[in-house]
Amino acid sequence: MTRTEGFPGERQMSSSAGYASAVLEVADAAEANELFQRKGWTDGLPVVAPTEDAVARFLDAAGLAPGDIIGVEPVRRRSISAEKLAIAAVMAGCLPEYFPVSVAIIKAMCRPEYALHGSTASTGGSAPFIVVNGPVRLEIGMNATHNALGNAARANATIGRSVRLVLLNVLGGFPGQLDRSTLGHPGKFTFCVAEDEEDSGWLPLSVERGIPAGTSAITVMQVQSPHQIMNEWTHDPREILDTYASAIRNNMLTYSIWEGNYAFVIPKQHREIFAAAGWSKQNIREYVYEVARVKRGDWRAVGKAAVAGRKDEEKVYCALRSPDDLLVVAAGGPAGGFGAIVPPWYGKKSLAVTVAIDV
Amino acid sequence: MTLRVLDPRQAPQGDAMRMALALPSLDGAIVGMIDNAKIGTERLFDFVEEILRKEHGVREFIRRRKPDASRPVPPGMLAQMSGADAVLSAIGD
Repeated sequence: MTRTEGFPGERQMSSSAGYASAVLEVADAAEANELFQRKGWTDGLPVVAPTEDAVARFLDAAGLAPGDIIGVEPVRRRSISAEKLAIAAVMAGCLPEYFPVSVAIIKAMCRPEYALHGSTASTGGSAPFIVVNGPVRLEIGMNATHNALGNAARANATIGRSVRLVLLNVLGGFPGQLDRSTLGHPGKFTFCVAEDEEDSGWLPLSVERGIPAGTSAITVMQVQSPHQIMNEWTHDPREILDTYASAIRNNMLTYSIWEGNYAFVIPKQHREIFAAAGWSKQNIREYVYEVARVKRGDWRAVGKAAVAGRKDEEKVYCALRSPDDLLVVAAGGPAGGFGAIVPPWYGKKSLAVTVAIDV
Repeated sequence: MTLRVLDPRQAPQGDAMRMALALPSLDGAIVGMIDNAKIGTERLFDFVEEILRKEHGVREFIRRRKPDASRPVPPGMLAQMSGADAVLSAIGD
């Protein structure tokens, strides 16, 4: 079956290779990119042509059939097939060996507690923040050191982007359609880090969240843009954390006061201070749980007097429901006292999810 | 020589939806109102209810507030709306 689409030289037909997706014939990869751009099937960046052969290589790398369902978005009940995810991963520029990581991320994001639909549709534009742990990081060459949040490595950049392309093309999360973000943030393009397990004495994030040591895993959390902090003027772990906690309090007052997951990205220079003081990630979480609090009346200082007085202004709000809500990630270059807080999309409406990567 | 590429979009799933027929009149009708739990919805619905009652003769209202603006209406709450002739769902952000 062949039918003509509205673009010169384009023909669309059924696949003879067992795919559910329609096939489009184009002259070459450059024309494929231009076609996808015109169709609005991208995030605006150039895409790699998802040929039948390329998609097959990705499915083989994860041992999946095209029709296997990776997850179902719980609200609109949209199924995300292995085929559509593989197409997105090819388009994003992934290599086949990255594909099991993308699969794990989509599985996690389809858990009800992740609130994929609500967070995708919200005016409070947010993005999935992905942390990768375990041997797969080294096997596929992920970066966990210099410019950790800046996506210099292919695996970091393209894995995060593969998720974005699924949100667009499979779930319909196009800006102005399902995605009603007022601003969004640059992390929507891709926001995927690896934890620097080799240069940290801490337990990896995935192990703290119940995955056996030595097993590759991802953690994904729906977040606002990261906020960098800097403190190079103390060796007291409490003072270092006071700087991070201040950024949290600022977020609580200027963005959302509600409790939920926060993440810290802690660079080596700060980790050395915690190591010298014998502080584990758990020590960090417990300290932050106590100090990352604001009073309702503090809203008055940031222009929110109109809402501050609606309830008891002495009421104290904590950023975390418990210390466990704080995700502590070791990543960043070897020099510089620059860390980051990564705030949640909107309190506890979406919760971080950790799943093992099936490799 | 051509390149065969796959369409990345998800085809529509499930049965096609269609618009419900418009009520011929609101006079004597029962109207359901689903409050999406945003901060201003209750106030907005108070205004709407007054207009519908006084100017359009709506007889009865079934008003419910969702427990969470970011999640679907719970099935039990949706069932309570089945007795309404028309339902409003709104956000007052």
